[in-house]
Amino acid sequence: MRDEEPDMPRARKKERMLNQSRMSARGGDVFGLRCLPGECVLQRAVMVRKKLTAREGRGWLSGTLFCTQFRVAFVPQDAPKADDNAETILLGDHDIALASIEKVVVVGPNRTKLVSPNTWLKFTPEELVLYCRDLRVICFLFDRLTPDAQVIEITHTIAKTYQPLKPGAMLSFQNAALGSVEMKQFLSNRRRDAHMNWHETAAEWERELERCSATGWRVSSVNDRFEMSTSLPRFIVVPQKVLDTELKKSFAHFNDGRIPRWCWRHPRGSDLLRMASFQNNIYHEKDDIRHLELILFGCHSSVCVVVELGEELPSPADIQLAHGRLRALCLGDISTSVTVPDDKWLSTLEATRWLDYTRWCLKKASEVACLLRSGHMTVALQEAEDRDMSCLVSSLVQVMCDPHCRSRLGFQSLVQKEWVAAGHRFYSRTNFHRENDKEEAPVFLLFLDCVRQLWSQYPARFQLTDDFLLALHDSAHLPLFSTFLANSQRERCRRTQNVGQCYTPVSGWREPLHPDSSLESPDPPLPPVWDWSLQYCEQRQAAFTQPVAQTPAPAPLLNGNLNSQLDARRPSDAIPGSVFLLSRGVFSCPVNLLPWRGGSAGGSISGVYRKSHRRAPSCESVPGLERLLKALSLAETPVKPELDPYEPLLPLLMGPCVGLWRECYHRGALHAQAFSHPLSANHRHPLELLAGEVRRLQEQLAQQHPADDSRSAHDANLNHNANNSSSFLFSGSPGAAAIATPAPASGQAPKENANKHTFLSGHASDTRPGRANSKLTKSDAS
Amino acid sequence: MEKSGSMDSLGSKQSSSRHPSVDSLSSSERSAQVKPSSAMLSETATSAEFSPEIRVKAKIHAKVLRDSDKEEPQLLPNEVVQDMAQDITYFCPFTGAVRGILTVSNYRLFFKCMDREPSFVLDLPLGVVSRVEKIGSASSRGDVSYGLVCKDMRNLRFAHKQLDDTLRKSIFEVLMKFAFPVSNGLQIFAFQYGQVFPENGWKVYDAVSEYKRQGIPNESWRITKVNDHYELCDTYPSTMAVPVNIPDEELKRIAAFRAKGRIPVLSWIHPESQATVTRCSQPMVGVNGKRSKEDEKYLQAIMDANAQSHKLFIFDARPSVNAAANKMKGGGYESEDAYQNAELVFLDIHNIHVMRESLRKLKDIVYPNIEDSHWLSNLESTHWLEHIKLILAGALRIADKVESGKTSVVVHCSDGWDRTAQLTSLAMLMLDAYYRTIRGFQVLLEKEWLSFGHRFQLRIGHGDKNHTDADRSPVFIQFVDCVWQLTRQFPAAFEFNEYFLVTILDHLYSCLFGTFLCNSEQQRVKEEIPKRTVSLWSYINSQLEEFTNPLYVNFSNHVLFPVVSLRHLELWVGYYIRWNPRMRPQEPVHQRHKELLAKRAELQKRVDELQREVTNRSASSSSERAGSPTRSITPVQTFV
Repeated sequence: MRDEEPDMPRARKKERMLNQSRMSARGGDVFGLRCLPGECVLQRAVMVRKKLTAREGRGWLSGTLFCTQFRVAFVPQDAPKADDNAETILLGDHDIALASIEKVVVVGPNRTKLVSPNTWLKFTPEELVLYCRDLRVICFLFDRLTPDAQVIEITHTIAKTYQPLKPGAMLSFQNAALGSVEMKQFLSNRRRDAHMNWHETAAEWERELERCSATGWRVSSVNDRFEMSTSLPRFIVVPQKVLDTELKKSFAHFNDGRIPRWCWRHPRGSDLLRMASFQNNIYHEKDDIRHLELILFGCHSSVCVVVELGEELPSPADIQLAHGRLRALCLGDISTSVTVPDDKWLSTLEATRWLDYTRWCLKKASEVACLLRSGHMTVALQEAEDRDMSCLVSSLVQVMCDPHCRSRLGFQSLVQKEWVAAGHRFYSRTNFHRENDKEEAPVFLLFLDCVRQLWSQYPARFQLTDDFLLALHDSAHLPLFSTFLANSQRERCRRTQNVGQCYTPVSGWREPLHPDSSLESPDPPLPPVWDWSLQYCEQRQAAFTQPVAQTPAPAPLLNGNLNSQLDARRPSDAIPGSVFLLSRGVFSCPVNLLPWRGGSAGGSISGVYRKSHRRAPSCESVPGLERLLKALSLAETPVKPELDPYEPLLPLLMGPCVGLWRECYHRGALHAQAFSHPLSANHRHPLELLAGEVRRLQEQLAQQHPADDSRSAHDANLNHNANNSSSFLFSGSPGAAAIATPAPASGQAPKENANKHTFLSGHASDTRPGRANSKLTKSDAS
Repeated sequence: MEKSGSMDSLGSKQSSSRHPSVDSLSSSERSAQVKPSSAMLSETATSAEFSPEIRVKAKIHAKVLRDSDKEEPQLLPNEVVQDMAQDITYFCPFTGAVRGILTVSNYRLFFKCMDREPSFVLDLPLGVVSRVEKIGSASSRGDVSYGLVCKDMRNLRFAHKQLDDTLRKSIFEVLMKFAFPVSNGLQIFAFQYGQVFPENGWKVYDAVSEYKRQGIPNESWRITKVNDHYELCDTYPSTMAVPVNIPDEELKRIAAFRAKGRIPVLSWIHPESQATVTRCSQPMVGVNGKRSKEDEKYLQAIMDANAQSHKLFIFDARPSVNAAANKMKGGGYESEDAYQNAELVFLDIHNIHVMRESLRKLKDIVYPNIEDSHWLSNLESTHWLEHIKLILAGALRIADKVESGKTSVVVHCSDGWDRTAQLTSLAMLMLDAYYRTIRGFQVLLEKEWLSFGHRFQLRIGHGDKNHTDADRSPVFIQFVDCVWQLTRQFPAAFEFNEYFLVTILDHLYSCLFGTFLCNSEQQRVKEEIPKRTVSLWSYINSQLEEFTNPLYVNFSNHVLFPVVSLRHLELWVGYYIRWNPRMRPQEPVHQRHKELLAKRAELQKRVDELQREVTNRSASSSSERAGSPTRSITPVQTFV
């Protein structure tokens, strides 16, 4: 344990030192809590039992409860001794970050009490219940053998430390987790996952264009310094035909400068675009119009469908309201433990409207997916600000249509592209700071729920699992990740780089996020949420992907040929095509859909407009488009999904098909019974055990015939930088040195199941460091 | 339906493309199959409907056999075509009207439309028809329309041209005759069906060996033959287990005190604690609070047979109001004054009429159209899940008392053949892993439902045209629904799959097998059912792989305690809404499970190989880790 703690209030430091000395007198690590550098135990209670959820197998687990300045930790009695070779994990399986605690409730004899920092308990609690923001409810039971003093102390400590979030509290929480010198060093040494596309650099956008075989588009750095739009990323994808100089003039025509940008190309050649609403009170110069048309039509000059996202979808306020109702329904009234009676459960659930909203989003995304499937057109999603529902719909469409986005890495890349880079206002929507409650809306959680609905209908078509979605759901409630702590790429840039490096245009300047933070020590560097090893052990990460290998991903170049057909029928650039509006499932072509084509402007606009007008007697094309949507409802020639991997996964949306995400919202377990039974729904299955056993035997075999140690060690180093840096991290701190010395035997104790998925899917990448078996698995599998 | 651009139509492309015609189950597969067992699979449209991969297979066959395919169904042994009519219109609520040829045999209705690609087939056993009604009079176009209300959650509508020859009977009149053989003085088809299976399902259950499996007789329980000729109680089986110290003479006096003579008898005994589940009917207390010394002594004997507890729980399945109301009719419930050490608990489960009405409401909201936006509140208003919850909760309390409280329980309702059967069989399913195997479940049904006289004939109304009969009620369906809920919560605990449960329900109505005919063991013996009909278990046990749950793990000593909150119950979409093509599962889960089984077999093989290798090596080089192979040799299941 470290002695120095830079930003702790003096009083608490004293208290902590006291505790620490008490702890060390008994031997600090005896209780098995592995502290982060700089983390120290504020209070501890022994002989505590944790109530296990149905997912964990129900029943109780006894052990020791700790409260540090970063988390409430629980170490089971018979937990294996902290394995010092293991990855650095911010939170263990049984731990709760203080920042994710919403309410602390104690249950005493015949009474329940909400504990606040100022509460003075007049009774000894029998039960401690922590209600978390991510809808977990964690319940600890104090044994009769738990010393009363410990019970009361730890309850007070938790109540005092967790604090409802406000800017200062969050910063001290972040500092507690990540603020230590070792941690900062550790985080800065961590390499980003190169297998996913972060959509941050021009090269990464190029990679995405190449992956989609999106010819006719280019990456523009016109917004490199956020001069054009403060909320857009530095790099945007625009039609090749449009030069940057031409592009610059178009920003003014869109709300917040969010011009139509390319998102994705369907293998059949359609392009998906997104944009903000038009600035209407602006004069359209002739040249501008030409460029605007080019930008909007992209590579398909004939047909463009504008999908209006403002209607038929919930507003952020609706989402917030629905989510609030859902929380209340699932958790019950916390302070009084009043829950909705069982016989009203279904109608109350319906009245939250949350399920309706997921259905609406899925429906809209299905419509767009069906349009894209037909090929030869540009589909542009338009939303007033282009920062909420267009993130949701565009990414949902891609999950439906693109198998790549259903793999874990592909999904992460997708979130980077359509949410993080595109400037979803995570910071305002999550409202960690409680600065602006009006802005708060869990749009991203609604998206995760939509993906979960799709997943539950097509589990075998996803490589990622609902465990992954759940982990992402929970992480979104933890104010530790850069992913969720900024509103745009610009803000993220300012945070990660030195402020001086970032050019700040005069007009777009905003006050620093935390005005008070600059006074104190510099903010700790925030890791991205995708660095899963910070939160989950290997074993739990293994559950993020399907154990059994999926049908192999199709060759991504399928689309090249389809594109070439389209090129032939592309009219000359000068002639703009027809524009349709898709709204409420109906196509129309209102005159003023594109403001520059509007009737009143007609006089001032010459040939371009008239030509377009001639080319857009769209009434005859409308039925054709409607047929595309109708294909949704009518039986067509059966397409075997195996034959065309890009056939969209269209969800069933009838009442009984859209259900509650129980694994997430029902974790509250208030109503679940405490019957102990080992055979729960998520009990480990023989198949997994078998896989574990195969692995174990392979390890035994490996020991039987010792491999070339130096080579295998080299392999491990290459693959698993993270491990090494983590042990490096601990060797740095004097107190931890003793723990950090690797116990040779501990690594060999086979953790069954740890890597079952990699085994099953055939490519072996054993993540255990410095062991011969990683090499062996490889040789065996190949 | 067609013009609904609403949300529900969105997904249908995918699903309907895979299952081209709604009720499609092309008979071509049948003609392609030689083996009787697999041909059986598609005998009823319903059972084959259920499993997607069968449908896929059928489609493939359909292509090959298109030319040779006839309009007629492949007939079962002794099945005879009774009538056939061209130009019949079937109004499919999902895909619109289709014209085709209708065939009626003494077993089934078979409709086929060849114009569609792939051809549209509707094949249902006449047993599922609950009512045939002529809709309206001859319309202007001269069409006559008939509606068929089915017991399995669907309605069918057909129409044909007005017949010129007024003397000729409509095919639907023929259908009516054979759909209701009992009312028309005909024999139920099960008595004609002559299929021979490699397995004899009538041998699945033998009362004596089942009692023996439970360790009966023992020092406190004996098997009595007092009801050998069904004189004590005509709705009870001939073999029953009763406390040792109650002689047969006393049983007769107790029978007089219990409704319909259904005395408390043993259903299940805990192998360790000897706590028992016993079942009976209500005591004939009446308004005057009559008592029976023998009955009181009897319950005391049941309690004494279990040394672990000095208490006896009497679970009365009814709401207490109903139980009290029964006093007016001479019935009632045990007063705690008369039965010392007994505690009476009411489980609030409603009677058969309430359940029937609830299912009717459910059918209304699921067939043919589902209202999306109010789906959940509509579902709530049927109270179906609430009834399921109460039954499961009751069974859970019984199981908990027996397992955790080590206390014996007595379960009854009014007559002890509806709610009591539900409760005892569900509790036994929770308590005893044997009943969670395929054969064990068959034994459970044979014992708790069939031998103890659940009145299947009355509740289902086999071959009876009196569809308004107040004795009809979905009691058994409710039980199977509860079992399905259990399988959802404990997916690895049951050897059978969902298809098994659906198959049982399909043949509950089909009248193809003798299993669910008659009301009691006595009637079955009298009708010589085992001799004259085929058992459903013959069919099922001849092709077990179709009904096996690949995720099954044999946890023999585990008791299942389900969560019975409504929040954790689901509507059984795979049964109640299976006719809606838009509700079909998007992925063939069945298929996926089979792949998993294969994967598992492959892995097991690999384990064995590696094991051998390890043993060989450790034999040669004496490693210090030689101990671990022996540990891993144990079969995987054991250290779960």
